[in-house]
Amino acid sequence: MTLREIILRLRAWVRRDQLSRALDAELESHVDALARDLAHTGMSPADARTAARRQLGNTTVIRESSRDAWGFPRLENVLQDIRYGVRGLLHAPGFTITVILTLGLGIGANAAMFAVIDRLMFRPFPHMREPGSVHRVYVQTTVNGRRNVYATIPYARYLDLIAQAQSFSQHATVSEWRLGVGVGEHARIQKVAGVSASFFGFFNVRGVQGRLFTDVEDQRPMGSLVAVLTHEFWQTVLGSRPVLGEPLRVGKFDYTIIGILPPGFVGTVQGRPPHIFIPITTVPANLNPWQRDIYASQYSWDWMEIIVRRKDGVSVAAANTELTQAYIRSRNSQRVSNPRVLPDSLAHPRAIVAPLRNGAGPAPGPESRVLKWVSGVAGIVLLIACANVANIMLTRVLRRRREIAVRLALGVSRSRLLGQFVIEAMLLALVGVVVGLAFAQWGGSAIRALLLPEGSTLNLGTDWRTIGVAGVCAIVAALLSTIGPAVLAARSELTPSLKSGVREGSHRRSTLQTALLVTQGALSVALLVGAGLFVRSLGRVRDIPLGFDVSRVVDVYPDFRDANLETGVEDAAIRQLLAAAQSIPGTAGAARANSALFRSSTARLRIAGIDSVEQLGRFNFQVVSPEYFDVVQTRILRGRGFSSIDAPHAPRVAIVSQAMAQALWPGREPLGQCMEVTWEAAANVPYVPCTTVVGVAEDAAYQALTDEQRFVYYLNLEQMPGGWARQILVRLNGEPTATEIERVQRALQRVMPGDGLVILRKLQDVIDDQSRSWRLGTTLFVAFGGLALVVAAVGLYGVIGYTIAQRMHELGMRIALGARSSHILRLVLGQGVWFAAAGAAFGLAIAFFGARFIEPLLYKQSARDPLVYFGVAGTMILVGLVASAAPALRAIRADPNRALRSE
Amino acid sequence: MGKDAAPLLSGTLDLLILKTLSAGAFHGYGIAQHIKRLSNEALTIEEGSLYPALQRMMVKGWIVSESKKSPTGRDARYYRLTAAGRKQLGQEEADFKRSIAATVRVLKGSNA
Repeated sequence: MTLREIILRLRAWVRRDQLSRALDAELESHVDALARDLAHTGMSPADARTAARRQLGNTTVIRESSRDAWGFPRLENVLQDIRYGVRGLLHAPGFTITVILTLGLGIGANAAMFAVIDRLMFRPFPHMREPGSVHRVYVQTTVNGRRNVYATIPYARYLDLIAQAQSFSQHATVSEWRLGVGVGEHARIQKVAGVSASFFGFFNVRGVQGRLFTDVEDQRPMGSLVAVLTHEFWQTVLGSRPVLGEPLRVGKFDYTIIGILPPGFVGTVQGRPPHIFIPITTVPANLNPWQRDIYASQYSWDWMEIIVRRKDGVSVAAANTELTQAYIRSRNSQRVSNPRVLPDSLAHPRAIVAPLRNGAGPAPGPESRVLKWVSGVAGIVLLIACANVANIMLTRVLRRRREIAVRLALGVSRSRLLGQFVIEAMLLALVGVVVGLAFAQWGGSAIRALLLPEGSTLNLGTDWRTIGVAGVCAIVAALLSTIGPAVLAARSELTPSLKSGVREGSHRRSTLQTALLVTQGALSVALLVGAGLFVRSLGRVRDIPLGFDVSRVVDVYPDFRDANLETGVEDAAIRQLLAAAQSIPGTAGAARANSALFRSSTARLRIAGIDSVEQLGRFNFQVVSPEYFDVVQTRILRGRGFSSIDAPHAPRVAIVSQAMAQALWPGREPLGQCMEVTWEAAANVPYVPCTTVVGVAEDAAYQALTDEQRFVYYLNLEQMPGGWARQILVRLNGEPTATEIERVQRALQRVMPGDGLVILRKLQDVIDDQSRSWRLGTTLFVAFGGLALVVAAVGLYGVIGYTIAQRMHELGMRIALGARSSHILRLVLGQGVWFAAAGAAFGLAIAFFGARFIEPLLYKQSARDPLVYFGVAGTMILVGLVASAAPALRAIRADPNRALRSE
Repeated sequence: MGKDAAPLLSGTLDLLILKTLSAGAFHGYGIAQHIKRLSNEALTIEEGSLYPALQRMMVKGWIVSESKKSPTGRDARYYRLTAAGRKQLGQEEADFKRSIAATVRVLKGSNA
């Protein structure tokens, strides 16, 4: 159709009434003229007129086919079908609402999961140029079959890897920290990114106010103190005032603000983006003054990551080969100063390029593994929804069989009929998408809190990638679930449907329907088994005895932000801080500790009678002040805790965990035993002579939460040189609410010298982080499993309800012939239970074979736990009973009189 | 309608209408008469089918219509060829002749 024809057709469509009248007049005058001519040949006027009409032909057909030129007939047909579809859907609100809610739940589950996975794994970073060729570099060793992959490496390693690399057109370094920013009461902890000057070259950064820093300002060992701010930080914290050239305190140094990035720039970070970008060569001195001149040549500090851009035509494999060779060379030069670097034959070193998003990289963390599983689960929920919708559609088709047969008999083409089904499906899909996105957005706040890093946004209304995926899901689901019923309808035989009334065999269930019901049930049962396993596993994680109770403890880390503070002065300040913490009203005590949970340190130990203590396992130590055991509520099982008699020059004392005592002195009295300790790795540093064990504490989790080995010993801060135990743990009387934490923060901030800051954290958060992947799996599996169960129950209810409605006549007859209510009840309920039991049987089989794949995600939980299997099967059968209860009650009220009268 | 009247070859109605209108403006009845007369009553068209064809050709932009008084003094709609219509006529005429010639050649061959 040419543009001109479209315009002419449009014009004709606008004037169609006028054209229609003109055509009528034209036809009339044609008949007149023809009749006149025929009359000349001698016909009677009446005959001539009849003949003229005959010769002209069927005027209705003429008018109709003329009208085809006025407008767009095919489009009008579609519009008519849409109107018809909307009307049909509005006439059956129960059907429509059930289908839309079911589809919406399925689509919503998938949209939400996609939105999260996209943000964690796939979405390119804003402003990045050609993101397809940009990678993060990982190094990997495989020792005794155990693979260790990490992206965080020492600066010296970066120099080794990139120095001679030919594969990359660009490379940059990134390192993120939380540092105090600003001075005085405006000082806050902010996320700061140290980046190389080359970092900005990966992006199309247009619209920078001021400028970005360059290589000249990013020189080793110490770059220039210049900072580039994000637009957001400039707006919200600095109030959009002109700040270029002003100083900004970041960590220990004053930086000069030289530029403001365009809105939306987040660098290469997921979650809360950094607000301030500083040259990476200023980071080491800012964190640890003594690192300033050594970081570029030492391999002991893993603190930064590399991103690279592959040159055109360089494959990932080629880049990996080159990087791996460089990594091997790098380990060789490291070995010169540290002979303990494992030989390549044992470590199997490799270096690889991988996707920029950590979640899609080789070390995605347990959350990402759980996420992949859960998105599969969301897919199954959609499948169940499809099966359910297909079933409802099928029921509707069966119910409309007579209407459809009548329409076919009246000459509606089967293709038009199919088209109408497709249009109906599309209408449902469209509304389903909207409802699904609404569900996803509504559930989104929960999902965001669970899955996405703090500070992420999840606004699905403007998220076109998610909307697109939801749309595709909806269309596929709608087509999947309508095609079967539609084909069935179009194939339907005319005569039997036209003839058959309520009575004739129409209650026979279709096999397709049975199959769909059992499939739904089976899939729901499989999901519920997964959910049950996760619930049990999480229960086991929660039951892990921690050996301490920190639910009301906050961890305070003082950041002195003064480059030249001496250890002694700092120690005095921390002492002051502890005193202040102990005098805050509403607190139940405070203590100093060396490291927060799950970040413990090890030292080398020598015990008389044991060749190599290291071989027995990892022995963590804590340096604590005497109040520590009360603050974290770790019980001393034998002997005593630290006290004032353990003065600096009194004999050195230690407390060991029960497990450690048993490992080192099995069957012997641990109290009074002597341990020799040294903190230096080098072999020639002397051991501190005899530290005597004076107490045995209950076992406590200082390594990972689930670590079996709980070897830990505590040393008394009073007897240690300065610089230890820089953190303060404060035990509150009540729950650590935001206001309580704020109160503690203010009280402690007051006693910090200079520009110092205190950083507070709930220790419960640290524990929760450890169990996050299990909580994640449990929550999502339970949510989706529950959803699946509801959908399956609705499907079962709908189908049984429909069959009963179709059988009302037969049931009435049975009652008339003397069937008792209990028989009828048993008949209907039996049907529901039969479906549920069949579904459960298949579902348990699926779970039984599939479960071993999720076993690695569980904690000490067999994937074939009979309790879970029986529980789920029982639940399913109960659901079958409940779903068929209402139809059963309706069935026993079947009226025998009506059945007899209609006979 | 003579005894030896032949049905219209399918697809040629447009061509006949265009050809008729190339001789001047006609109303619907006039077109029918003209075709009958020129073919010596050998071609019969179902006269009613003229009108949908005319509507179709109008939205294609090949012809336009205008209201005029007919010689008998009644209001009638007269159809006239446009430049595009003339071009279309040339093309359809050529296509038709080629197709007929080829058909005739085939028929001759099978007779021999």
